[in-house]
Amino acid sequence: MEDALLRIAGWMPALLQATVITAKLTVISVSVALVLGFFLAIGKISSNPLISKPASAYVFLFRGTPLLIQLLFIYYVLPELFPVFDLKDPLMAAYVAFSLNVAAYLAEIIRAAIQSIDKGQMEAARSLGLTHGQAMRLVIIPQSYRRMIPPICNEFVMVLKDTSIVAIISLPDLAFKTSQIAATKSSQLVYLPAAAIYLVLTAGFTILFNWLEKKFSLYE
Amino acid sequence: MAIIRAVNIHKKFATVEAVRNVSLTVEQGEVIAVVGPSGSGKSTFLRCINGLETITDGEIYIDEELLEKRTHGRAHVHLSKEDRTRILLKTGMVFQRFNLFPHKTALENVMLAPVNVKNESRVAAAQKARSLLEKVGLGDKLGEYPARLSGGQQQRVAIARALAMEPEIMLFDEPTSALDPELVEDVLHVMIDLAKSGMTMLVVTHEMGFAREAADRVVFMAEGEVVEVAPPEVFFKSPESPRAQQFMRSILQQG
Ligand SMILES: Nc1ncnc2c1ncn2[C@@H]1O[C@H](COP(=O)(O)OP(=O)(O)O)[C@@H](O)[C@H]1O
Ligand SMILES: [Mg+2]
Repeated sequence: MEDALLRIAGWMPALLQATVITAKLTVISVSVALVLGFFLAIGKISSNPLISKPASAYVFLFRGTPLLIQLLFIYYVLPELFPVFDLKDPLMAAYVAFSLNVAAYLAEIIRAAIQSIDKGQMEAARSLGLTHGQAMRLVIIPQSYRRMIPPICNEFVMVLKDTSIVAIISLPDLAFKTSQIAATKSSQLVYLPAAAIYLVLTAGFTILFNWLEKKFSLYE
Repeated sequence: MAIIRAVNIHKKFATVEAVRNVSLTVEQGEVIAVVGPSGSGKSTFLRCINGLETITDGEIYIDEELLEKRTHGRAHVHLSKEDRTRILLKTGMVFQRFNLFPHKTALENVMLAPVNVKNESRVAAAQKARSLLEKVGLGDKLGEYPARLSGGQQQRVAIARALAMEPEIMLFDEPTSALDPELVEDVLHVMIDLAKSGMTMLVVTHEMGFAREAADRVVFMAEGEVVEVAPPEVFFKSPESPRAQQFMRSILQQG
């Protein structure tokens, strides 16, 4: 037992270094995806088919194909077809693939939250003379934040775990590093601290989102 | 001068004709109670007047300005967005379910449109909002969110919110139907005060007390049509049409 603890302690620096990659990939991708997903959601809701159709197609494309293939496509296939798109850095490729993919899922979450707001709110706003845009910006969207926080948190945790697929492009994230240690040191024990680190990250994100949800429910 | 002139209004939804050939003129300062069984097109008619629904046929004038003229859904007037908004702002609407903005305090609910639509300064808008909320008896609830107000208080905020845009006419769609019985009085009291102050009002309501005390005319609708128009004392005592007589019997049984 003591020996096991010592060995785990010895792996920790390498594991924590890999954790930085996992956490960065998750946080940055989800942040970029939030912005992109917001515009996609607004696009999907739009009554102008020139806006809603492309937005829907985007969401369909990125939800309808595996993330793994999207990642490989961006890292290997795209540069082969168009050399200007060679991202060279696997981390960069992962950022792009995850941002684009997660944006499609967040777009659906954001759209559902916006459309769940009672239609009496839009009617009241319009009857007071607000334009459709003002009503969305001042009345509908602010109310939708609270409703999208729990599913966004869910998505966050999913992305955190999905990042483990970056092993395929040899990006040394937490999962990849762990399996490397397991193989070279021929000890499966390393999966224990790795799982613990994933749990700590999940718990951290969940606490943050619970706090956000409270902050946005002040008026209830 | 007529504030509202609705001429031969029809409103068809996919399968139902909710409003059939309704004509109604509301003179300045008049208070009109619209009564009738559920599904008779009262809400739809009101919503057509303030632009939440588009009529299929007919003409609507607000303050003698043509807002809408259609035959078989085809429009004969094409107003700019600005003109349409300007004309529609002469109507203020109060909904059955209040529809207050839950993320805004009472004061912010009342200020929102003056600041964002009329570009009033926040200071001036807040001052006006405060005095309107005082007028409806909520001077001590300015900073409260709707969730912390009773239904009657919420509806009074909603009335103040509509009044803040200084409409020529107030439209009410069953403003007390969603309220617990003990909260109805406070809202009716505000509405009666408003009527006495000279506001033009078109009120869909089943509150006979309000109609008797404040209304100049009662309009009875059934199956999308206006069946009878009479002064309240006449209508409630001896309605002419069989359908109105039947409606009065059902109301009296419930009450
Ligand atoms: N948006 C809508 N789509 C289809 N039918 C509707 C719609 N709104 C109202 N109706 C129908 O129109 C008729 C009149 O409804 P309404 O105006 O709400 O009556 P009231 O307010 O007198 O109870 C009803 O048959 C109702 O089902
Ligand atoms: Mg109704």
